[in-house]
Amino acid sequence: MNKILIANRGEIAVRIIRACREMGLSTVAVFSECDRAALHVRYADEAYPIGPSAPRDSYLRIDRLVETARAAGADAVHPGYGFLAENATFAAAVCDAGLTFIGPTPQAIALMGNKTAARAAAARAGVPVVPGTESALPADATDAEIARTAASIGYPLLVKAVAGGGGKGMRTVHEPAGLADAIRAARSEASAAFGDAAVYLERRLRRPRHVEVQLLADQHGTIVPFVERECSIQRRHQKVVEETPSVAVTPALRRQLAAQAALVAREARYSNAGTVEFLLDEDGRFYFLEMNTRLQVEHPITEMVTGIDLVHWQIRIARGERLTLDADQVLTPVGHALECRIYAEDPDNGFLPSPGRIQQLRAPSGPGIREDSGATAGLDVSIDYDPLISKLIAWAEDRPMAVARMRRALDEYLIGGIKTTVPFFTWLLAQPQFLAGHFHTTFLDDLLATRNGRPFVVPPPALEDVAAIGAALHTVVAPAAGGELAGRAWKWRARAGGLRGLPGAARGARAWTRPAEH
Amino acid sequence: MLVEVDVNGRRRSVELRRTGGRLTAVIGGRECTVDAARVDAHTWSLLIGGEVGRQPDPPAGAAVGSALRPAMAASYEVSLASEPVSGGLTVCVGSTPMAVLINGRRRWGRKEEGGEPGSGPQRIVATMPGKVVRVVVKLGEAVRARQPVVVIEAMKMENALNATRDGIVSDIQVREGQSVDAGTLLVVIV
Repeated sequence: MNKILIANRGEIAVRIIRACREMGLSTVAVFSECDRAALHVRYADEAYPIGPSAPRDSYLRIDRLVETARAAGADAVHPGYGFLAENATFAAAVCDAGLTFIGPTPQAIALMGNKTAARAAAARAGVPVVPGTESALPADATDAEIARTAASIGYPLLVKAVAGGGGKGMRTVHEPAGLADAIRAARSEASAAFGDAAVYLERRLRRPRHVEVQLLADQHGTIVPFVERECSIQRRHQKVVEETPSVAVTPALRRQLAAQAALVAREARYSNAGTVEFLLDEDGRFYFLEMNTRLQVEHPITEMVTGIDLVHWQIRIARGERLTLDADQVLTPVGHALECRIYAEDPDNGFLPSPGRIQQLRAPSGPGIREDSGATAGLDVSIDYDPLISKLIAWAEDRPMAVARMRRALDEYLIGGIKTTVPFFTWLLAQPQFLAGHFHTTFLDDLLATRNGRPFVVPPPALEDVAAIGAALHTVVAPAAGGELAGRAWKWRARAGGLRGLPGAARGARAWTRPAEH
Repeated sequence: MLVEVDVNGRRRSVELRRTGGRLTAVIGGRECTVDAARVDAHTWSLLIGGEVGRQPDPPAGAAVGSALRPAMAASYEVSLASEPVSGGLTVCVGSTPMAVLINGRRRWGRKEEGGEPGSGPQRIVATMPGKVVRVVVKLGEAVRARQPVVVIEAMKMENALNATRDGIVSDIQVREGQSVDAGTLLVVIV
């Protein structure tokens, strides 16, 4: 294996390119029209256009991706996450073209991609599953039939896409009156996101935690499960903060979870990286939820506490190598890590997407901080893709220090031109329940519902004064290099007179630097 | 020079004065020295001394008014970005964003439209480009505050735009399935 095509974009494409370069492998990027100048294109050794910006015309075009891989002389394809990462047809097309798919077999993807078949597989392996329908609701089922099925499971329940993932095509229903609407919305979202409108019903456990087990499996039957990740902090079923280890998992429970995850993987004849998700109830009982047959968004936190590079191992496993990891070591976390998913969303406006041009960007760094990002200043955040722009990861010796470090890093994060979820995280990481580790999967939605639209960060008057001084200063001094503000500011100055001809103003360099006084 | 600056909806008058190579600002009747270093087109480093902003504690043992005491200056990083939808600015002090209007204006040459918040018609405007998947209300329908009015699909998620106050739907400018840009007027509620 010498050259790898990365069938993805954004931060995960950059992440994979980095691993390839570290391993001495050539990289081939693909890009849609609006991604021509994206970071993954600039970092790759080669890059090829694959179509217009809409995903179905580019990143979801199996034919173009496979053709590009062949034409570029790639011998393997890494799918990243999202897009075609859990598409068995894509994996099969890659294999049929004589290329290596860096992931599980098409059969394992198909089995686990069908959520009802996956539940059946887990049950066969002797792993407990959440009560629910055994198969998808028939497309022609009447409202009355669906209502009867729902009643037999009991409320509250979840409507979930059979082809689902990432919280899309999923709805909570608290009472029979909301069922039909929820099914319609879930079907529409599932159809748009996965091309499959089938949904099923599952009981919603009371206040469960979402705990998941990363694992690696080689092609020789060795399965190595890792220390769990705690992913209960979710908004509308989307993970927003992940951490490892979970405060709710004892070493004994950790070994049980790991063993059960390995059973699921063995039943699926799984190879490469995958994640088995469980719900953990308040009494410490756990249930299989689903298996993700790809690299997860939150994989870096596992890397931080185990020291293992999961993408390196994905490639090594795909090359046929045997796993040589110490099973005890990867079940024993060193320190604590958490991740905040920085989205181009406006938290003070119902988390609506906030696409646009990133006018400036400075990412945090320093001890224990890792930032996985595909964003740079000057790039447009497109409406066509997931609004994740960056993952901020903090590691420290223990949980309180990891949280403190994350807050320090959030304070350093500077993104201009678009709204992001940074202020929301600043707020969340100061909440007493979060600091105490007392949360469950609906904790965040419940907490947000009590806020009544109050802003997440309320600046003290002193900070507003500073903003006013900065804005006034910026307005009366011509901005250094044109830009959006220049025209307005110049006109204003011309009208107001007054401060024209200040030293440094026209040069736009250091204006009004106070002379040293001592 | 006097500049009127609205920060998060509250108006402040900032007077900038330059005396002997030294910049001072007067805000809310309080004066401060401002040492401004420009970092790039969008970013300033401000050292503010005087009565404005957070003031650092004097070092332990330093006598107030002592000639040996260095001038206190609180350090701020201020970055500015234009807001395509509102026409105003977002000013970040550190990582704290604030919405800013200069001299009550949004786009240059046009006074801010509309009246006080809480009066007049509500204009429900698309906050991002996307596709209208559902118009939840009908013309003439009474709506309540926080009730969804239009659902827009963007970035693969359905996002409901809600009424901010009770009222009656007086105009619907879009139909289901229509693609809209950020800033497009969708519904008017009186």
